[in-house]
Amino acid sequence: MSIMVCLCLVLLILGLAFVASNPSPYFTALGLVLVAGVGCVVLALLSGPFFSLILFWIYLGGMMVVFGYSAALIAEPFPESLGSGYVLGLMVFYMCLVFFTASMVMYFYGGPLHLLGEISSFNMVQKDAWGVALMYLCGGAMLVLGALVLFLALFVVFKLTWGMSFSVLRSV
Amino acid sequence: MFSFMFTLGLMGLTFYRTHLLSALLCLEGMMLSIFMAFSLWVLQMSSDNFSTPPLLLLTLSACEASIGLALLIAIARTHGSDRINTLNLLQC
Repeated sequence: MSIMVCLCLVLLILGLAFVASNPSPYFTALGLVLVAGVGCVVLALLSGPFFSLILFWIYLGGMMVVFGYSAALIAEPFPESLGSGYVLGLMVFYMCLVFFTASMVMYFYGGPLHLLGEISSFNMVQKDAWGVALMYLCGGAMLVLGALVLFLALFVVFKLTWGMSFSVLRSV
Repeated sequence: MFSFMFTLGLMGLTFYRTHLLSALLCLEGMMLSIFMAFSLWVLQMSSDNFSTPPLLLLTLSACEASIGLALLIAIARTHGSDRINTLNLLQC
C-alpha cells in the first residue's frame, strides 16, 4: 500500500518536471492531466476519496477542458517535445535539481541542510550558537557552497565595475 | 515534496520559451500542488475543519484560470498569436 503511495509521489514530481520543461502547450496540458490523475490516486489511497472526486470534476473536467479548447487556437504542425535535445536536457536538469535538493535535506542526522530537526532537551548547547557548530559538523557541503557563492559574487562585482565609464574602477 | 512541485511549476512559469499558454498551465500546476498539500494536511493531521480551504482554493483557481485565458485570447486577438516573440512592444 505504501509502495503505491511512494510510486505515485515520484510520478507526481516526474510529471510536473515534464510539464515545466515543455514549450508546447499540447504536451503541457497532457502532462497536467496525468499529474492530476496521479494526484487523485494519492488522495484516494490515503482515505480521502471526496478530494479526488472534486479534483477530477472541477480541475480536470472544468479547467483542463477549457485549456484544451484554448490550445486549438495555437495549432502547430510540429510541436517540440522530448524529442528535441533542449527539452530532454531541461527535464534531466530539473530532475537532477530535485535529487540534489532532496539529498541535502534528508531527515536523518547528518544531512547538510538538516533544518527541521531539533536537538534533544538534555543536550547542553547554546541554542543560537549551535548553528555555526552544525555548519562545521555535518553541513560541510553548505559551507563549501557558501564559499563558492561568495567567490562568484566577487567576480560579478568585478564584471560590473571594471572598465565602465560610470563606475569606480576605471582606466583613467 | 510539495515544495518541489511548487518550485518546478514556478521555474516552468518563469522560464517559458515560446507559448504563453504553457506558462498558464504551469501556473495551474502550482495551484494543483497547493491543493494537494492542503488536502493531504487534512487527511494526515486529522484537522477536519481545514477541509474547506481546498475547495475554496479550487474555486479561486478556476476564476484565475478563466481570467488568464481571457487575457490570452485578448493577446491572440491583437498580436496574432500567443508566442512571446510577438510581445515586443516595450523592447528597446
